[in-house]
Amino acid sequence: MNISLHINGQVRAAETDDRTLLVNLLRDHLGLTGTHVGCDTSQCGCCTVLLDGQAVKSCTMLAAQAQGSQITTIEGLAPASTGALHPVQAAFSKCHALQCGFCTPGMVMATVSLLEKHPHPTDAQITEGLSGNLCRCTGYLNIAQAVKEAAAQLAS
Amino acid sequence: MTSNRTMTTTQATHHDQTLSRQEDYKLVTGQGHYTADVHYPGMLHAFVIRSMYAHARITRMDLSAVAAAPGVHRVITAEDVAAFGANALPNALAVKDIHGEPQKVVRMPVLAREKVHFVGQPIAMVIADSADLAQDAAELTDIEFEVLPAAADIDTALAQELPLHEGVAHNLSARFQAGDEAATDQAFQNAVHTSQLKVVSQRLIGMPMEPRAVVVAPAKGAEKIKIHTPTQGMLGMVGNIAATTGLKPDQFEVLTDDVGGSFGLRGAAYSEHVLLVLAATQLNKPVRWVGSRSEVFMSDWHGRALTLNGEVALDAQGKILGMRFKDQVDLGAFNCYMSTFIGTRNISITMGGVYKVPALYMQSDLVFTNTVPVSAYRGAGRPDIAYAVERLIDHAAHEHGFDPIELRRQNFIPPAEFPYTTANGTLYDLCECERLMDRALELSNYYSFESRKQMSESLGKLRGIGLATYLEASGAGTAPKDQVIGEFSAAGVLTVYGVTGASGQGHQTSFTQIIEKHLGLEPQSIQYRAGDPSHIMVGNGTGGSRTLYGAGSAIKNLCDQVVGKLKTLVESLWTCSADQVDFKHGVFELRITQGADSNPKFITTQDLIQQLSPEQRQQLNAVGEAQSGTTFPNGCHVAEVEIDPRTGVTEVVNYTAVDDLGNLISPQLVLGQVHGGVVQGWGQAFTEQVVYDANGQLLTGSLMDYALPRLGQLPQIHHETMTVSTELNLLGAKGVGEAGCTGSLPSLANAMMSALRPFGIQAMDMPFTSAKVWAALVQRT
Repeated sequence: MNISLHINGQVRAAETDDRTLLVNLLRDHLGLTGTHVGCDTSQCGCCTVLLDGQAVKSCTMLAAQAQGSQITTIEGLAPASTGALHPVQAAFSKCHALQCGFCTPGMVMATVSLLEKHPHPTDAQITEGLSGNLCRCTGYLNIAQAVKEAAAQLAS
Repeated sequence: MTSNRTMTTTQATHHDQTLSRQEDYKLVTGQGHYTADVHYPGMLHAFVIRSMYAHARITRMDLSAVAAAPGVHRVITAEDVAAFGANALPNALAVKDIHGEPQKVVRMPVLAREKVHFVGQPIAMVIADSADLAQDAAELTDIEFEVLPAAADIDTALAQELPLHEGVAHNLSARFQAGDEAATDQAFQNAVHTSQLKVVSQRLIGMPMEPRAVVVAPAKGAEKIKIHTPTQGMLGMVGNIAATTGLKPDQFEVLTDDVGGSFGLRGAAYSEHVLLVLAATQLNKPVRWVGSRSEVFMSDWHGRALTLNGEVALDAQGKILGMRFKDQVDLGAFNCYMSTFIGTRNISITMGGVYKVPALYMQSDLVFTNTVPVSAYRGAGRPDIAYAVERLIDHAAHEHGFDPIELRRQNFIPPAEFPYTTANGTLYDLCECERLMDRALELSNYYSFESRKQMSESLGKLRGIGLATYLEASGAGTAPKDQVIGEFSAAGVLTVYGVTGASGQGHQTSFTQIIEKHLGLEPQSIQYRAGDPSHIMVGNGTGGSRTLYGAGSAIKNLCDQVVGKLKTLVESLWTCSADQVDFKHGVFELRITQGADSNPKFITTQDLIQQLSPEQRQQLNAVGEAQSGTTFPNGCHVAEVEIDPRTGVTEVVNYTAVDDLGNLISPQLVLGQVHGGVVQGWGQAFTEQVVYDANGQLLTGSLMDYALPRLGQLPQIHHETMTVSTELNLLGAKGVGEAGCTGSLPSLANAMMSALRPFGIQAMDMPFTSAKVWAALVQRT
C-alpha cells in the first residue's frame, strides 16, 4: 500500500506491506535509523517518536495508521545542518545520561513529550513519564538529572 | 511539536566543549551506527528456526515447504554447516578435575543435528528477500521431536540417569578444586564458632538494549568478506570466527561501529555469525540477521547461575581461621566461552574477600542443564563470590553475636601486610579497607540508623541497613600485552588505533584525556579507532573492566615515546642538550642554565607539531604498549531499605558507595559506570531472574515477565572515591566497570536481611521480590 506522511517537516511517501510497522517504515523504507528497535513487546521504548506531538512507540502501530500524520523522529528534533541541539539532547550529554546510546533516541523523544505535558516535572512525573523507556547502562540517575536540566533550560 | 523550542547552538563536531563525551553528538542526534543500521543494496535477510523443546531427539525434519516458500533463497541445516567445514562454538577454558582428569567439554554445535538441548537452540536458518518473508517461511517448518526428560536445574541434572551428552555421567562436566583442603579442615576443627550459608546468584540475562545482530557481505574482487557485528574488541571476534568458520583471518574483516551495550555478551561468536558467513559466501550476496528481544532471551548466553555454599571458621574472639565453599555452577547445555572460567578461577581467586583468612578451600561442580549456555555477565563470577563472602560474614556475625562491623574490622588484611598473598595464592597489591569502611559508615550515617528505624516503624514499615566491604579482581586479559598504534596525519591529527572497542564506556573520551594529559595535544587533534582491520596489533578486547588501564597504559607509553621524539626535535630547534629540556603539562621548556641564554623558552606540543613539516609529523608515529594485569578495585557500600510489610514492596532509601578505583582519568564516566553497576546489582537483588519450568520451558521470555530496573527505583547514590594508587599499570588506575554491582549485591541483600531477621527469617535468596518478601513475612507474623 502507499503511505504518505509528514516526517521531520517533509512530506514523505513510501510503498509498504499492509503489515509493516511504523518503526520499520522509518528505518527500512525511509532510512531514518536513529529510531531503534530494542524489543518486540513494546516495553523498551527505543523506538519512541512523536506522532502529532505525542510520544508513541513506533513498533506498536502499523505504518498505515500513521497515514497523514506529523511525525518527529530523533533526526528531526534539531536542524542537523546547523549542528544545533535541542535542549533535551544537550542536557542528556551534559549530564552524562547516555553510555551506549542505543536507548537514547527513545529516551530523548519521551522526555520531549514529558516536558511538553509537565514543563516543571516532579520526580514522580519523571518516573512516570519515562517508565516506558529502558536503559541498561546508566542506572537512570543521570537521565532523571538530564530531564531536570532540560526543563530548566527550556524554562529560561 | 518542537519547532518553537529554543535551540542550544553548538558546533556539529565531536569535540564540542559543551558535550561531556566526544561520542555524544552522534548518539543524541540519531546518527549512531549500530549493526542493524548497516545496509547493503540487495541484501538478503535471515531467520533462525529454533528448538521449542529443552531436550528432544529430532526424529524427522522436512524443510522442503520452507525452501519452496515465496522469496526464500536458501535453507541452511546442520548438514550444510558440516559440508562448509565449520566447527562448534568456542569454549575459552578447560580445566583438570579434582582427580587430575581433563574436564568433559561439550562445545555447542552451530546447528543442532540429532538432538536439541535447550529451548532456543538453533536448528536451521532461512534466507529470504525480507525478514518478514524469512519468518513466514519458517512457519512452514515440519520437525518431529521425541521429547526426552529435561534437566532444568542442577539437582535434577545431577540425579538424571539419561545425561544430556553421551559419556558425561550425571551431567558433571568437572568437579574443580582450589586451595588447601587439609589445612582448611584443620581450621574448622580448631574453630570455636562456625557458620554456613548457601546463597544463589540466580540466572540472569545481560540484556544490552541493542539486540544481537550480524551483517555479512561476501568478498568482492580483492576485498575481504565483511562481517559487521557488535563486539567487545575486534581481535577476539576475528579469532572466534576464524576458529568456527575455518576461514583464515586474512580472508575477512570484522567491522564494528557503535555497540549498544555488551556486559560480557559480545565477546564471542554465536551460531548466527557462522551461518551468515556461510550464507553470504555461498549465495554471493550480503545477508543480514537482526535478533529479536525474544531471541536475546533464549539465545544470548545467560549470566550468573551459581550456587555458592560457604562456611567460615572463627575463634572465640571472632578471628577468621578458615573459609571453604562448595559451589554449583550451571553451565547450561554446553560449554560456551567463559562458563568454566567463571565457575573455577573467577569464583576462587578472591574467595577470602578483603579478609586475612589463613586457610581457604573450594570445590565447584560444573553441571550441564537443559538451559541456555551461560557465559560472562558483568563481573562473571566475581560479584557472585563477593556476594557470598559478604553475606556469610554478616550471617556469622549475627549467628554468634558479633557486631558485623567489628567482625569485619578485626579481620581486614592489615595495611602493613600488603602486598598480601591469599591462602590460595592471589597477590593483592594494596587496599585500605578499614579507611574506606569508616568513611562509608560516616557518609551513610550508619550509627544513627536506629532512630531512622524507629521512624519507619512508627509508620508501620520495616527498616534494614546492610554493609559490604568488597574487593574484586579486574581482568588480567588474555593477550600477552596491549598495543596501540599512533599515527599522525600530515595535518597533525593523531589517530590512535587499538583493539578494544567500546559499548558505551566512552573509550574515545577517556583515551583523549590521557593523551591531553601526557602529550598535551588538544582534543580536536585526537581520534581513537577500534578494530580497524588495516591495523593489526596485539591487545585485549573490552572485558573485566580492564580497558582503561590496559589500553590506556599503552596509550600512556605511546605518549611517552612521542614526547621523546619531540624532545629531540626541540633540542635541535633550540640547539641545546637533552638535559636542558623539560616537558610538563604539554609544554616543552628550556631550563635556564648558568652562562647560557637567560631567556626561558617555551613551546606547547600543539604549537610544536604545527611547526613541523608533514614528513616530520609522520615520523612521530609509534607503537605504544604495556603489560597490565589484574587490579583490585575495592570499596564499602552501605544500603538502607524500607519495607512495607503489607505489600512486601521495598524502597532503597539510602545508598552510599565509597570506592577505591585507583587514579581516576574521567571522573564523570567513572561515576556513570558506578551508577550503572550499582543499578544492575539492584536489578539482580530485587527483580531480575530467569525462570524455567521443570520441562525446561523458558517462562521469562520477554520484557513483560523479566523485570529490568526502571527509572526511579534507585533514586540516589551517595558516591565517593578514595584513591589508593596502584603500581600494577602505568596509569595507577583500577577497573571500575564491575565494581558497582560487586558492592551493591551484598550490601542490598544484607540490608534486606537486617530488616527481615527480627522476624526469624535467617536466609533468603535474591531477587527480593515484593511477593517473596511479603509471603515470608506473612508466614512469620
